[in-house]
Amino acid sequence: MRWFLGVVALSAMAVAASAQEAWRARLDSELDAATRVAVLAMVDSARVARLPAMALVNKALEGAGKRASGAQIVAAVQSLGGELRASRTALGHASRPDEITAGAHALHAGVDANALGKLRRVSVGRELTTPLTVLTDLVARGVPPAAASDAVITLTQAGLRDAGFSKFQQAVRLDIDHGADPASATRIRARGAVIGRGGAPRG
Amino acid sequence: MDTRADALIVQQVLAGDVDAFAVLVARYRESCARYAMHMLGNREDADEALQDAFVRAYRALGRCEDPDRFGAWLFRILVNRCRTAGARRARRAQTFLSDEGALLSASEPHPAEQWAWREEIERALSALPAEQREAFLLKYVEGLGYDEMAELTGVGVSALKMRVMRACDRLRVLLKEVRSA
Amino acid sequence: MPEIDHNKLDEVVSELRRPTPLDASFDRRVMRAIRAVAMRPLRLISPLMPMPRWRVWSAFAAVAAGMLAVSVIPAFRSNPAQPVQFVLVAPEASTVQVVGDFNGWNARHAAFAAENRGGGVWTVTAPIPPGHHRYAFLVDDSLWVPDPTAPRVADEDFGHPNSALVVESAR
Repeated sequence: MRWFLGVVALSAMAVAASAQEAWRARLDSELDAATRVAVLAMVDSARVARLPAMALVNKALEGAGKRASGAQIVAAVQSLGGELRASRTALGHASRPDEITAGAHALHAGVDANALGKLRRVSVGRELTTPLTVLTDLVARGVPPAAASDAVITLTQAGLRDAGFSKFQQAVRLDIDHGADPASATRIRARGAVIGRGGAPRG
Repeated sequence: MDTRADALIVQQVLAGDVDAFAVLVARYRESCARYAMHMLGNREDADEALQDAFVRAYRALGRCEDPDRFGAWLFRILVNRCRTAGARRARRAQTFLSDEGALLSASEPHPAEQWAWREEIERALSALPAEQREAFLLKYVEGLGYDEMAELTGVGVSALKMRVMRACDRLRVLLKEVRSA
Repeated sequence: MPEIDHNKLDEVVSELRRPTPLDASFDRRVMRAIRAVAMRPLRLISPLMPMPRWRVWSAFAAVAAGMLAVSVIPAFRSNPAQPVQFVLVAPEASTVQVVGDFNGWNARHAAFAAENRGGGVWTVTAPIPPGHHRYAFLVDDSLWVPDPTAPRVADEDFGHPNSALVVESAR
């Protein structure tokens, strides 16, 4: 059995090493030397700090794919690095990499770090990637960050699962596309989702 | 110049004539660009918000309840886009600089002092909180009444009056030294 | 409520009312975006209109179906990829590519090239690892378009908005 586990571990390491080689090769081919050095330094720092460093790699590759300048890429990666740190601080050090990344996007969108902390406190043990993704979407569609945070915290507290969040996001998006005020659409749809969960509507 | 009424063009677009939408773009781009530029403070963001507003308007055209007032409906979409883009810009903590490219391509010649004055205005405007800047621009530059502004922004009339008053006070302070110099 | 102070602010207003000229290419760019992204006739894109489910599946909604479709998972892999369907309606497009975190933002990745299935409905189904991903459609190698029905990511660092995709692990 031990030899089998060893083979499994080696296989997993080989997959990881292969993936790392793949993104290193992409960075090598897509970025100029100066940008690559700066990006790799930030990626290494993130890895040492046990932050989801792949988010930084992805940001750099996105910049390269969209033909951004080296300076723009470095600035964007640097900014995301700070947001990843802030996200982990707000969500807690036990948070999963995807939660930290989704939290960083929420912060970038303008959500207050305190709201992220509150979201964690009302839903200990719940995977928050989807609620955070929906939170960012709401703000990106023009919902004021405080209103969006209140709605997502309320829904999480009410026990809404990921599928429910997906339906909520789609309903709000359609309302806004129809010309509804983003904050009103969010408030009304959140009340509906809470009622649907059997909870008491708020406000 | 195309003189067809907005409602007629909207009807043609809805019937499948996509190119007719270009008439609406040409008709409203400049007034919308002015608002987006003043709200967002740089040409790149303004261009993007404006383009996004037109694309959204096209996609939602079937839901434009009063096609005769297409311009007002489009403007509402633009105001929302500028709010979103403005929040993003603030987060990026960009240093506001007047858009020299846009200024240099302005249609009327400006003497050097006029450039400086315009830059000061843009800088002062950018120093206002977004909601005050929005209220000021809608009231005095776009010439809307408070009821129209309330309908457009979803903010109450008294709050809007307060925002406009504060914006005026702040602009006077910011521009006082420049003008007296 | 004081009205505007004509001694000072009327000059400001008059300056701000000057026309703001646009880039000469603005109209062309807007119309190109509209032709590439919008569906004709317009009524078909109205969310009020009933549409066949396959037309409106965004990648976000398709994740659930993808999870059900997975049956064989190599034992040593803790993050098996899930098939996800991406759909973009772009009648005027010549090419549509899905580009995102999951393919290193590589616009040449053959597995993510969408096919026109008729009526301007472009689609591709590709394996995506569990987790949070950002992506966008690249139309005609030049126009970046977010997935109209997926959640947005407010990270327009490079001038183009992205969409978000959360793929859950198979249970």
